[in-house]
Amino acid sequence: MEVIDLRPMLAPALSLACGIIVFLVGDRPFWRRFWSLSAATVKLVIVFSMLPGVLQGTVYRYSMIEFTPGIGLGFRVDALGMFFSLVSSTLWLITTFYAIGYMEHEHERARFFGFFALCVSTTVGIAFAENLLTLFLFYEMLTICTYPLVVHEETPEAMAAGRKYLVYTLIGGVFVLLGTAVTYQWAGTLSLAGRGILDISVGTQALTLLFVSFVIGFGVKAAIMPLHGWLPSAMVAPAPVSALLHAVAVVKAGAFGILRIVFCVFGVELLRDLGLGVWLAVAASVTIVTASLIALTQDNFKRRLAYSTISQLSYIVLGAALLTPLAALGAIVHIANQAFQKITMFFVAGAIQRTTGKTNIHEFAGIGFQMPYTMGAFTVAALGFIGVPLTAGFVSKWYLSLGAMESGDWIFVVVLITSSILNAAYWLPIIYMAFFKISPGTHLRIKEAPLLLLLPTLVCAVYVILLGSLAEVPGMPLSLARTAVEYFFGQ
Amino acid sequence: MAGGQWPAVLVISPLVGAALCLIVGRWAPRAVGYFALGVFTLVSVAAGFITYTVSAVGSFSYHMGGWQPPWGIELRFDEFSVSIAVICLVGWLALMFSLHYVNHAVPEPRIPYYYALFLLCLGGMNGFAVTGDVFNMFVFLEILSLSGYALVAITGERIAELAAFKYLVMGAVSSLTILFGIGFLYALTGSLNMTDIAQRLSSVEPFPTGVAVAALTLGFCVKAALFPLHVWLPDAHAIAPSPVSAVLSGLVVKIGVLGMLRMYQVLYSARTFDLGALNTALMWLGAISIVMGAFFAMVQEDIKMMLAYSTISNIGYIFMGLGLASTFGIIGATVHIFNHAIIKATLFLGAGALIYQTGYRDLRDLRGIAKAMPVTSACIAVGAVSIVGIPPTAGFLCKWYIALGAIEAGRIFFAITLLFGALLIFVYYIRMLNAFYFTPATHPHLLQVGEVPMTMLIPIVILAVLCLVMGIFGRIPLSFIEPAVIEMLAPVGG
Repeated sequence: MEVIDLRPMLAPALSLACGIIVFLVGDRPFWRRFWSLSAATVKLVIVFSMLPGVLQGTVYRYSMIEFTPGIGLGFRVDALGMFFSLVSSTLWLITTFYAIGYMEHEHERARFFGFFALCVSTTVGIAFAENLLTLFLFYEMLTICTYPLVVHEETPEAMAAGRKYLVYTLIGGVFVLLGTAVTYQWAGTLSLAGRGILDISVGTQALTLLFVSFVIGFGVKAAIMPLHGWLPSAMVAPAPVSALLHAVAVVKAGAFGILRIVFCVFGVELLRDLGLGVWLAVAASVTIVTASLIALTQDNFKRRLAYSTISQLSYIVLGAALLTPLAALGAIVHIANQAFQKITMFFVAGAIQRTTGKTNIHEFAGIGFQMPYTMGAFTVAALGFIGVPLTAGFVSKWYLSLGAMESGDWIFVVVLITSSILNAAYWLPIIYMAFFKISPGTHLRIKEAPLLLLLPTLVCAVYVILLGSLAEVPGMPLSLARTAVEYFFGQ
Repeated sequence: MAGGQWPAVLVISPLVGAALCLIVGRWAPRAVGYFALGVFTLVSVAAGFITYTVSAVGSFSYHMGGWQPPWGIELRFDEFSVSIAVICLVGWLALMFSLHYVNHAVPEPRIPYYYALFLLCLGGMNGFAVTGDVFNMFVFLEILSLSGYALVAITGERIAELAAFKYLVMGAVSSLTILFGIGFLYALTGSLNMTDIAQRLSSVEPFPTGVAVAALTLGFCVKAALFPLHVWLPDAHAIAPSPVSAVLSGLVVKIGVLGMLRMYQVLYSARTFDLGALNTALMWLGAISIVMGAFFAMVQEDIKMMLAYSTISNIGYIFMGLGLASTFGIIGATVHIFNHAIIKATLFLGAGALIYQTGYRDLRDLRGIAKAMPVTSACIAVGAVSIVGIPPTAGFLCKWYIALGAIEAGRIFFAITLLFGALLIFVYYIRMLNAFYFTPATHPHLLQVGEVPMTMLIPIVILAVLCLVMGIFGRIPLSFIEPAVIEMLAPVGG
């Protein structure tokens, strides 16, 4: 059932307005905080108000101006879009609190929080995009809005990272736009409402090229190797931004784009006929394993997190590429699970850096005694990545493995298990370092992070456990993902 | 008659106003700017009424003095003539910007001349856009070109005079080739009226028509600064006072494009002449222009020089769209005539504001200026994002349509060139934004300068807002252009 409703448009529009207000009042700390938090809250409330309807299969839509006959700015809230926007809005509110604490003594806070709020609005635009052009529009806006956040420090290193980020993502954007234009020519529509708008009659080779173009375009942000280069260097950004880049907005926009391409533009049937899913799955698998291996060698905490992100994102791509219902379920639900786990870790990294000044793993000896709560949260997230039951990561791994078996390609199950082992290999040493390795003779006192940094971290860690243990409770992300999958596979 | 007497007001009042400027200048030198602005407000009102009439009742023509064509002078108001709307908009804002700016940039005795020339130039463009007669077209072209040369030289700096001279030489040669082409058409058809020529051309041999077409194309391409005929542009546009740069870069080069469009209208409706070779040439030159313009701009440190080279890239877009000869391609090209005028005016006026306040024009000197002039810098940033074609700004529409047009015509290579060319453009705009926003100031005293006066700031803000609005409401210019393009291509089955 489709309902015309203003809310899909209001969610991005209101947070955009708040973002602009932040720029204007940014010099006054109270109003800056007030409007930053309002942007996040307003969006969260609007998004949540649509949740019950979406769970019952209602689709909200709202079309605005048309650019060309048939395509324009349009918003449509289906289960997949709802899922992504729910994850991003929830995390954004939490991150905003964290950022207020973290950025207390930084320069240019008006600029920082202004662009932060703009990112809120563009991400929800991506989630609710009704057609490919709207999706592209917000995808590019997100690139531009994150740039000032990446170069925030204004050091030569930050500028270089920003440049690299722009080069990668804008080239990716060109591929997306090219694919969009070609799709419009062939399909005559860009709607993302169906289960595939393209037709095999265009020709296998042409469709393959189109698919590759889209995968390159969205793959840049989803950091599929070898398109991942921007991500580790973007680590120079402040911790809340890294959390945002790596857990929610930017990378997930890429992964979300790939899901849209697979399920809504090509459709499961067509991709099966073309036999393209396997190739994408292989690329994702290579990324999963290689990135994990590189992560093993990183001593800088944030860089290790970055490579872990690259590896984890490809879970989503792998799940989509397997083209089976269970794998797709695993992929979609991993959007949320990875987001909460990774954001916890970035919060931890930021808290440690702010409290002790340490950024390298070899300096972490005994830090578990100084910052027990923070490192406790870290442990929860690490166990999640390894895939221990009752944590979020287990749910995604379970469904991904089931999906891989369903597709009959056992090798991908092996990939997932290998990845779990590698995850254990690079997370557990940190826990060991933090809790079990104290140089003799040192006396450690508790020196926790400030409350504004600690609380968001703990909230996210609790979420990781909730997502894992209450996964089957109605209203949790899994039920939403199931609604989406049922639609895409026509069940 | 549709449109009343507004067409006559549109064409004649700037010419009369220009002459009066000199008289007013003698009596009250301080008031001459306001006088020119007043005259041009009248012109803009006329343009507004005409645009409204065209959108309400469709195209119409106006016969000067009541003489019937093909003997009398015909002013033709069709969808392409609606470019008077953008000419008046940008021209009016540039005039308003001039009120303060000229005192600073132009020697005082020359200020009345400045406004007179400015009105002549804008009036010439209006005339060019609406005339239905090829000889009048040439006359208006000369009016606007000559006033353009003089405006470049008006600051009296040595480099300015040199740049103006280079512009003059190239411009004069191109005017001659255009005149040659027009003469040729007259010899072949015995008529100067465009509709008439189109009818009579169908019975003319293709070869002599080809000579005329070649001469006209060459001339218009110089006026439009298509690579490799662009050499006059960077110096002239960079040296001129900023409001003049905005008009030259945003509007005057488009006159060359508009000339091409008029020629295409005639040729398409004459049907006899095969445009395949010409289209291919324009497409390639357009593609090369995009890339070369971007490469030249990348190495510039002077902010206005950079903007000038980026005009060459953008002209490349427009010619590529024209050459593709598919519906979407030509729509993209015509939409970009409008949007680029607005975007480039934003950037040039913004750059003018920076130069006015700081006295520097080098990117290295302007570092950190965003802290001192936040509004101007934000407007420049909007313009920069827009000219690169990041959605949802005005520049995106043209990229989207021309890419669609290239795919429609089966030439995906050109779509790729276009989209990657746009990225190259971003390389140098991001350098500018980095310098303004993210680097510490080279000259700390610049941080105290503050914003420009309101008469300068308001035009910049209006234009920057339009850069955003035209992207979101891109359907408005489109509703004019789309039927016109479809009608134009109809005879060849495009």
